[in-house]
Amino acid sequence: MHKKPLSKQIYDARWCYLFVLPCSILTGMFVIYPIGMSWYFSLLDWSGFTKEAKFIGLQNYYEAVNDEFFWDAFIRSFIFMFGTVPIKIVLGFIIAVFLNNQVLKLAPFFRTVIFMPVVTAIAIIGIVMTFVFSPFNGPANKFLMSTNLTSAPIDFLGNPDTVLPTVMGVYVWKWLGITMMYWLAALQTVPQDVYDAAKIDGAEGYRLWIHIILPIVLPFAIVIILVEAVGALNVFPLIETMTAGGPFFSSEVMEIYIFRTAFVTDSGTMPRLGYACAAGVFWGVAVLFITVLQGLWMRKTRRI
Amino acid sequence: MKKKKELKISRRTVMKGALAAGAMMSAGSIPSKLFAGEYNIPDPLKPLPTTGGNMRWIDSGDMKGVFWKKLFPEYAASRGITIEYDGLPWKEINKIVPIAIRNGTVHDVFQLPLGMDPGVAVAEGWVQPWDDYIENIDEWLAAFPSGVYLPGVNQFNGKTYGTCLTANKRTGTCLLYSEKYMSEAGYDPQAGRMTYSEIRDAAKKITKNGNGQYYGWIIGGNQVNRWEDVVHTFGQVGGAHSGRGGFTNRHINFQNGKFQIASDQYMEAVELLLQLKSDGSAFPGVMSMNAPQARALMPQGAAGMIFQGPWCIGVWGRDAPDWKYGIASEPVPDGKEAQPLYIAEGGSNTFWLSANSTMGPFAGDLIRFMGTEQGQIYWAQTVGAADPAVNPDAVAKAGLTGPSAQALAMFAENILVGPNPIVRNKDVGIVAAKSRVPDPSLALVIQGLYTGQLKGVEAQLKDCNQRYEDALDKAVEEARADGANVTRDDWVFPNWDVYSNYGAEKYQEL
Repeated sequence: MHKKPLSKQIYDARWCYLFVLPCSILTGMFVIYPIGMSWYFSLLDWSGFTKEAKFIGLQNYYEAVNDEFFWDAFIRSFIFMFGTVPIKIVLGFIIAVFLNNQVLKLAPFFRTVIFMPVVTAIAIIGIVMTFVFSPFNGPANKFLMSTNLTSAPIDFLGNPDTVLPTVMGVYVWKWLGITMMYWLAALQTVPQDVYDAAKIDGAEGYRLWIHIILPIVLPFAIVIILVEAVGALNVFPLIETMTAGGPFFSSEVMEIYIFRTAFVTDSGTMPRLGYACAAGVFWGVAVLFITVLQGLWMRKTRRI
Repeated sequence: MKKKKELKISRRTVMKGALAAGAMMSAGSIPSKLFAGEYNIPDPLKPLPTTGGNMRWIDSGDMKGVFWKKLFPEYAASRGITIEYDGLPWKEINKIVPIAIRNGTVHDVFQLPLGMDPGVAVAEGWVQPWDDYIENIDEWLAAFPSGVYLPGVNQFNGKTYGTCLTANKRTGTCLLYSEKYMSEAGYDPQAGRMTYSEIRDAAKKITKNGNGQYYGWIIGGNQVNRWEDVVHTFGQVGGAHSGRGGFTNRHINFQNGKFQIASDQYMEAVELLLQLKSDGSAFPGVMSMNAPQARALMPQGAAGMIFQGPWCIGVWGRDAPDWKYGIASEPVPDGKEAQPLYIAEGGSNTFWLSANSTMGPFAGDLIRFMGTEQGQIYWAQTVGAADPAVNPDAVAKAGLTGPSAQALAMFAENILVGPNPIVRNKDVGIVAAKSRVPDPSLALVIQGLYTGQLKGVEAQLKDCNQRYEDALDKAVEEARADGANVTRDDWVFPNWDVYSNYGAEKYQEL
């Protein structure tokens, strides 16, 4: 069969292209252009403010990979991801299982309660949590002291050993509702006759979930994990409002590192946008690599 | 029938009366001429545009904000404009102003981030001179004390780009204490400057008396500059003579041009902070609070001592008028005489006019008024010692008493003018623009030592000192490569007598 030339194909689909155009322009302006410019800026010795910008090739990358604070932040970002995503996935699944039960009359209420933090502004949550975890009159410490769980207040956000787990806990609490919703959506794709058939075959309780339901929702799990993993690597507003990366870098993840070098130097000296872009590009590539790996894993799982 | 005469009192009058009565009872040291509708704002020297408009203003707030929030509405009403004021902590200024400059939305009047070289702001065209907007500017400038307006500091190319209404003769690490707790601990800081051992002992006793309800000492530990400020100033008091200001001045001993971060005096100051922690005298949540939060906890009775600036006076006077506190000079290491502190020439709180601003005539008119004696008196009456008015006559006429007056007297006694490399050689400004505080900075090193993440005070400070030396060397090298005529010798002032002011004649001797 004779294939139409490309120009003819485009002309025939001109309305489709027209409708895609606004989105393409916006994507170009706010996604493609900044990505392209960050690649270019990463090759410059430039504060971002002055007119003077010197091309220095890959020197910023060289400096970044030789900076221990860069690697500390890099690793901390993954600690954050590995520390939060499994908890959210498992906890979200368990809650979704309970709330998916039609018999539970208060399910909509609990769904709303658990989902409420998701729709609350993250910066507000970050600020409020600094008061909640304050060692002086903070409700968390008041509870611990009043129940004799601790004899002295704990400086949750000021102690390098507790700061990251605390922020991770707040992150899990804040976003648990969305994970629960993903799971609920997945569970609701399981037809009722599967449950009925399983029951007839004698599969009940955990066996029903492990052997029947879980294999059905597994492809969803891969997508949820992917989304959650990428989300856990984007935690700038929460950490900036709760700790700004401190104390002494204990909670500095990559985004805070990039922000600090790009905009907020320690004593107001000139920031380094070029260097921050190099760190950002490196980080972006790393995240992309993980996403691709997950994508491949997802494809493999689907084949199974 | 004769109508009985009614006594008509407007709600506004009642409010003003109540406010004035309350203030008279509570403020004590602050005269009553401070309330809305009572500023005598003179007519502009030349007609202002009648088009109105909105003037946006950002600065580091605190007591400045208290004053501006009272003055701005009146000024705006008298000139037919509106004024939008943002008073934010320096940490926020350091973030917001550079980003706003970059995207062209910076306020009409703003303060540059701490340590950012003004020469860069001028060279980059971010700011415009005030000369066109302040009537008879030469006459106006002549009324300021000498050394406030200087080429390379706030004047460039023969024009005035930065205006200073306040003096920089103050410290940010005074000993502020609860009179009750300190007295119960058996100490009176008013009897003489306390030693490190006495501070430690007082903190221990206060903590013991507090029995878990309050502690000896508090600091806003997540605001990292507080650690550096304390160690820097305490180090100076201990005898580590050094400059103050941005990276190219701070911590440098101008007798030899070298950083002295690893000096014995700095180490002693760091050790004091660590001892306050190991003694159990530090408030348990210091690492998760900033300086304003720590300050706010003092009147609530959470701690006995804090090392902060005179800006606390006004805030506490407003928020906790009944709380009894005292202010004293920074402590001194055991067995040592307190040494002078140094400031560079120039004023403080420099205001810059955005190059894009169309509100220059109004901003200039307001700044001109605030530079007059009457404006300075108004400023001193509200702001007090927090940001002392730059005109000493106005300060004297403001009738300050109590902690404000005491703080000003303390600063006058303890602080001298030290050398400033940029006054000697304007190309030092190019070095400042090239400078980068090395990672981790001194502030972070001290924080890391305090949290226990870093070990060994001496080794850490020596490493830090070397990083600073290397960073300054690199910045000088880069500036020279760009054509700047500057060497590290520009930081050496062999004729600096550490016990006297370093004035214009000293620069001429070099």
